[in-house]
Amino acid sequence: MRGAAALALGLLAACAADRPRAPDAAPPLVLRTVPAGDSLRLVLDAAPGWRINARVKPVLESADGTLLRFDATGLTPDSAYFAEPPVAVVSARARNPIRGTLRASVCAAGEAVCRVVRLEVGGKR
Amino acid sequence: MPKTALLAVLSLALAGSAAGALETAARAAAQARVPLLESPRSGPRPAPSWRNTSWLNADGPITLESLRGRVVLLNFWVFTCYNCTNTVPSLVDFDSKYRDQGLTVIGIHTPEFPPYAGEHDKANVVRALEKYHIAYPVAQDNDDRTWNLYGIRYWPSFVLIDRKGRIRYEGAGEFHVGDADYRLWEGRIRELLAER
Repeated sequence: MRGAAALALGLLAACAADRPRAPDAAPPLVLRTVPAGDSLRLVLDAAPGWRINARVKPVLESADGTLLRFDATGLTPDSAYFAEPPVAVVSARARNPIRGTLRASVCAAGEAVCRVVRLEVGGKR
Repeated sequence: MPKTALLAVLSLALAGSAAGALETAARAAAQARVPLLESPRSGPRPAPSWRNTSWLNADGPITLESLRGRVVLLNFWVFTCYNCTNTVPSLVDFDSKYRDQGLTVIGIHTPEFPPYAGEHDKANVVRALEKYHIAYPVAQDNDDRTWNLYGIRYWPSFVLIDRKGRIRYEGAGEFHVGDADYRLWEGRIRELLAER
């Protein structure tokens, strides 16, 4: 695919619980990458029915302590959640792989609670 | 509430761009649907003693032992949680209506993120107390110790402790002054206040 990235996502979910996993207990976030010139946009999508807390912005914490923050200009009217997927931008020429812990606060529609999701992201170019 | 977690492994491959191929493996920790306002778990049981050292709206650390004889409502919250701050007016209302009758509302401020997000900073918590007109005591739980002690999983969560220091009701989820969940919690508070 020219000028764009082909994204393949495989998902394997295993339950480490003391009771069966609820049918709706799918990972609430998906991280995708979109090339944009000399940059690479990391886009954080919330699964249907989930919202990402904008009061505490998602962060990718690298092992060396570098913080890569996700943000977006579009917010819900109450300014509490992102109305569009938050994005972080890295240089496409960067040598270091995208690796670290992605942390986001998310809320599921109809539950009225917040929870933190952590994604261990490890990649190589 | 049984402890439930979901471990997910994501594998992600990106190919066909000038940037080359990117392979990403991710592990996600999430949880199943929240049973809101579920309580009690398995009948009354002794409330564990917290040991928080940093307090606001208090002359010094408040212990569970010092509150024996009072009904205690613990609210686990953080100022960056919209659901939490939406619920604060209800807690302020409970504090106003029932403090003199024997209720002590205590906020347990437990950050969601590491210190870089600012949730650990006492000055930021102070600003939140002023913004939301919180006059009841609030403990900083920056090491999650009290959160873990009570097995909390969600913001906001609530634990209602009776005059004998026993956990009687637990639950999670936003509610508002006058709504059904508010009335439910108020009924529980009044029930425990009536016990001697």
